[in-house]
Amino acid sequence: MLHKLVTLLTLAAASPLSAGLLDKSPVRVEIFENLPPGTELSPTGAPAYQYTESAFGFPRLPLKYSAEALPQDRSVPFALRASFERVIPAGPHRFRLRARGAARLLIDGVEVAKTNKQKPNTTGDDPVPEPPVRDETGHRPLTHPHQDVFLNFPGDGKPHTFALIALIGGKGLMPTPGELAVSFGKPGELEHLLGPDNSPRLTDLGWETHVAQQETLHRQADRERRLEASREVSARWNTRHDEARAFYKDRHVPIPAATPNLPANNAIDHFLNTKLKAAALAPRPLTDDLEFLRRLSLDSTGLIPTADEIRAFQSLPAATRRAKTIDRLLNHPDWADNWVSYWQDVLAENPGILKPDLNNTGPFRYWIHQSFSDGIPFDRFVTELVQMEGSVHLGAPAAFSQATLNDAPMAAKAEILGLAFLGTKLGCARCHDAPFHPYKQQDLFSMAAMLNGKALKLPVASTVPLGEGSRKPAVSISLKAGEAINPGWAFNDLIRHDETGSLPTEGKVESRRTLAGLIVSPKNERFAQVVVNRVWKRYFGIGIVEPVDDWAFAKPSHPELMQFLAREFVTSGYDLKHLARLIFSSHAYQRRPLESLAATQLSPQNRLFAGPVRRKLSAEQLVDSLHRAVGKAFECEDLNLNPAGDRPPAQFLNMGKPSRSWQMTALSNERDRPALALPIAQALIDVLTNYGWRQSRQNPSTTRDDGASPMQTLILANGVLGTRILRLSDDSAFTDLALLDLPVEKLVEEAFLRILSRPPTATEITAMANLLRPAYATRKVAGAQTGYAALKSDNRVSWSNHLSAEATLIRMDEEKKMRLGAEPTKRLKTEFRVLFEDALWAMLNSPEFVLLP
Amino acid sequence: MKRRDFLAASTATLATAAHVPKGKADACIFLWLGGGAAHMDTFDPKPLGDGKKVAGSYYKAINTAIKGEQVCEHLHRTAPLMDRAIAVRSIMHDISGEHAAAANLVHTGRKPSGTIIYPAIGSIVSNQLGAKTAEVPPYVVMGYPSIIRDPGFLGARYGYIYLTQIETGPAGLLRPPDVDLNREDRRETLLAKIREEYTKRHPKDQTVLQQEAITTSAYKLAGPKFLNVFDLARESSTLRESYGGEFGQRCLLARRLVQSGVRFVEVSHNLNFLNGSGWDTHNDGQVKQHLLIEELDKAFSSLLIDLEKNKMLDTTLVVIATEFGRPPDFDAGGGRGHQSAGFSMVLAGGGLKTGQVIGRTDEVGRKVVDRPVSIPDFHATIHCALGIDPHKNLYAGDRPVPITDRGTPIAELFA
Repeated sequence: MLHKLVTLLTLAAASPLSAGLLDKSPVRVEIFENLPPGTELSPTGAPAYQYTESAFGFPRLPLKYSAEALPQDRSVPFALRASFERVIPAGPHRFRLRARGAARLLIDGVEVAKTNKQKPNTTGDDPVPEPPVRDETGHRPLTHPHQDVFLNFPGDGKPHTFALIALIGGKGLMPTPGELAVSFGKPGELEHLLGPDNSPRLTDLGWETHVAQQETLHRQADRERRLEASREVSARWNTRHDEARAFYKDRHVPIPAATPNLPANNAIDHFLNTKLKAAALAPRPLTDDLEFLRRLSLDSTGLIPTADEIRAFQSLPAATRRAKTIDRLLNHPDWADNWVSYWQDVLAENPGILKPDLNNTGPFRYWIHQSFSDGIPFDRFVTELVQMEGSVHLGAPAAFSQATLNDAPMAAKAEILGLAFLGTKLGCARCHDAPFHPYKQQDLFSMAAMLNGKALKLPVASTVPLGEGSRKPAVSISLKAGEAINPGWAFNDLIRHDETGSLPTEGKVESRRTLAGLIVSPKNERFAQVVVNRVWKRYFGIGIVEPVDDWAFAKPSHPELMQFLAREFVTSGYDLKHLARLIFSSHAYQRRPLESLAATQLSPQNRLFAGPVRRKLSAEQLVDSLHRAVGKAFECEDLNLNPAGDRPPAQFLNMGKPSRSWQMTALSNERDRPALALPIAQALIDVLTNYGWRQSRQNPSTTRDDGASPMQTLILANGVLGTRILRLSDDSAFTDLALLDLPVEKLVEEAFLRILSRPPTATEITAMANLLRPAYATRKVAGAQTGYAALKSDNRVSWSNHLSAEATLIRMDEEKKMRLGAEPTKRLKTEFRVLFEDALWAMLNSPEFVLLP
Repeated sequence: MKRRDFLAASTATLATAAHVPKGKADACIFLWLGGGAAHMDTFDPKPLGDGKKVAGSYYKAINTAIKGEQVCEHLHRTAPLMDRAIAVRSIMHDISGEHAAAANLVHTGRKPSGTIIYPAIGSIVSNQLGAKTAEVPPYVVMGYPSIIRDPGFLGARYGYIYLTQIETGPAGLLRPPDVDLNREDRRETLLAKIREEYTKRHPKDQTVLQQEAITTSAYKLAGPKFLNVFDLARESSTLRESYGGEFGQRCLLARRLVQSGVRFVEVSHNLNFLNGSGWDTHNDGQVKQHLLIEELDKAFSSLLIDLEKNKMLDTTLVVIATEFGRPPDFDAGGGRGHQSAGFSMVLAGGGLKTGQVIGRTDEVGRKVVDRPVSIPDFHATIHCALGIDPHKNLYAGDRPVPITDRGTPIAELFA
């Protein structure tokens, strides 16, 4: 035993097992995997992982990462053992063990309480569980299907050892801990979680605060741990990038000389100016500072700037404020959020919360976010995507490998990769040789076979029916159903095998590694150019090559600029931020938008970038910015139809509680059952879908179908989310603002700044101030209470009981209540409140809000 | 030759081969029995079973206005109106395991291909016919928004306006409950000021002007003309009561929507609190299934009479559709499983030759024994009734996609 412990300690010293943030807390936690049957609740030997916690409340466990920093599944079930020693004061005490599944509590080595194993559920016919019963003391009530087991314990003023052993997950169950906790207290008094004095109370507030803190702590600890775990891999990528820099050292793209009388901030402008001058077209004027800030803020973080950010920006010296702000926003954590939705579309990320539907994938959104948040070089990102490893359900790249109900998932993935990174549109080649592209069906399927790791059989459904008496097909067919296609690379015109170099990652499937190597080879300028063009289009509204995902007949409008940017991208170590910084800093990006997208702009020879195309906020940017404008938190119920955790993740994913729009997902209510509705989420989704977000991303897309439509206007003006956002409830920043003693004109000015990122015009200020003034002096209600009750939907309703009448009625009633919006503040008189709400409504519903400056 | 012309030309030979009848309906009300309605307990009655071991119908059968043809006794209001309808008793497909997949098939007419996303029939009708007037949308859903009702490759503008309950109204169209006309006026006056200032700053910006124009047209759509359609209080209380509960009120609203110019209205009937399971009558969902049937009976019969009184029945095709039927056998809990190898759907009005029964299942209703009708055939029939050529190509980018997957309309229904 002693020997084992020593080994463990040596191991811990060699590669630190516990994360910095969680290693100084008093409760020691160990996680055991691969439990031999029969010993699940008495784990022995070396733990798979150990760390410390502040108290006996375990809503969140550390993620497990591979050496490439990809989340891994733990073996199921796995066990958690938490141990701690403390003095229990003299006098009677009561202990409570709360667990969803099997758990044991031991005091001084003796088992004193245990809970039962959780059973998997397979029905939809259960009754709705009884409402939670709150005891007189006010403890957080037990939620279905948790169990509370109590134990009376006479304290003696002496120290005792406590150990909790709990089983997490198992066949047919979610591998999550639920509300696993041990608490104790004197009879009749509020219990605290077991831990040092002053540990959180077992009340709703105490528990919810603990959960939120745990989430923050664990998220940081996870990040530190995965960066640490992948340090070696990261170093190898750096070496590869050094080699790429060496290769391009003497291969500079010459930058044209400055063009007289045309403004230029950097090389991009020099390239553009040459062509602008030749066409004798004047560039559009520079945006004013606040227009620039709003555009930049949306392009980098997906959010409009706050009034404080605007003021901070204005206080910077005029000569450097744009450059400084570009740097600040590129380093903002929200940079990652703003990229997730883009790649969700392009890579067809399509998780479902209710049983597999067509082309469902795992939730690799989490890995996209992680990659952008950790600053992973883009060639490494694509390599990991192609290698498709890690956990499917925790959203590692393995999640990309799925395409449920699709008879040739790897063909679907090959098509996606082609569109995303090579500009090859292989979709038509799924069932026959492409009629308008130089691609054969064989080309697609041999790439698919590379992803497959071995030969792939052509499924019948991926062929053109050639039955007796059927027509002669209009397309040429060179493969037969059932034919086996070997892995192979058909695009030697894009990149040849001998130019790939060695990839820093090993990978489990050799042909995937070969494919990744081909795509991200630094000598493969096509990959870098396709990515550069995608980024360019995101920020200018139109690409140097159009369409960005189909380059078969591509004619770049500025070939030298394209090559320059691609080499900048490669030699920066495939850093999208470097690319974005170049673009954001250019005069061209900072100009006012083109006034019309004349047909001439659409042909490459006439595309001049005199200014960017005027764009609309994406659906996600719009919804997130609405929340930001009024200072409200993003409210949504858990995106989960299995709150009891008694079904496997392959059938029911728990997508958690979103805090940004990219975290939303399809509600999958094809069954049309009211009890499967999620009414808070639905209001968000109504707005998102009208603005071009797809709740189901069955296929990849780069350009969204988000053209102006009347329903876009109306869903914002009259919809449930619009009402929720506008309401001057106690969680609205505008409620607090209205209670300050500002002159009414200042109130109006501040509102314009927060919503439209600009001061009001004289006309606007007069109109708004005149409206508000009569009720302004008497707006306050003296002594009124404040307090906001967050939106809640009843989490007793689930798939397990969705057929019951009670579940149906609960949800239908909630839908009606959602229409009413949040409760208005009591601190403002209704007379003033409705006036101010109407003023805010007008600002938020102006077309100005949804169009980028 | 443009890409799509080339493909159109090369597939045209197929289309001309079959004669395509052209109906005279100009709108469709699509009643959706989500969950899978048991045909032998509704429109295709069989000898009685015992609810346990002996397979068969759960209810007695009664005569209808079609000579020699019966329906279940709980359809007693519909039975005398069957001369206005057609019972298609030989629908078949091969997805019986999963509701979502079968519901998708019945809505799009195709199995998913993995390469493109097929549009729902409502979106196709919307794409082909548009609304009858500019002030109303072409396609309205009373049910939950989901991919089975979506426009797929046709694009968002062929999507729908939806509502999940009569009481809450269509999402986004009705003013929030606390906003009265006075507040609405005030809001729009303030908004007009800000919009004016905005266009003044961008007088020549095409995108700004287009957004402005759309905003103006949006408030027209949410204007009284269309919104009054949702005000069922404008109908007599006798008529409202004749339609019955929530589902009946939805049917009444469907008539009003069609009257206002909407082309395609889907009305979902899946209020599972009536019997605990909706039409998905596993186990004890069977016991109170008659409540569901009676609600359908009341609503459907009232709709037919009401349409007829308004002289709309000949031009309005009413469809009763469901994702699959159910087997004549009873499960261990006394209910029924799923069966897609033979079940019923109903067509009514729409200028078709009504008063017929199409196809036949065996003595207990397990399999089709005469005149099978596929989902593409059923779709082709609906399209033809609406004057849409089911072989016509739609385009997913360059790719031609016929409106139905080689569906043949039921010829007997066309004059």
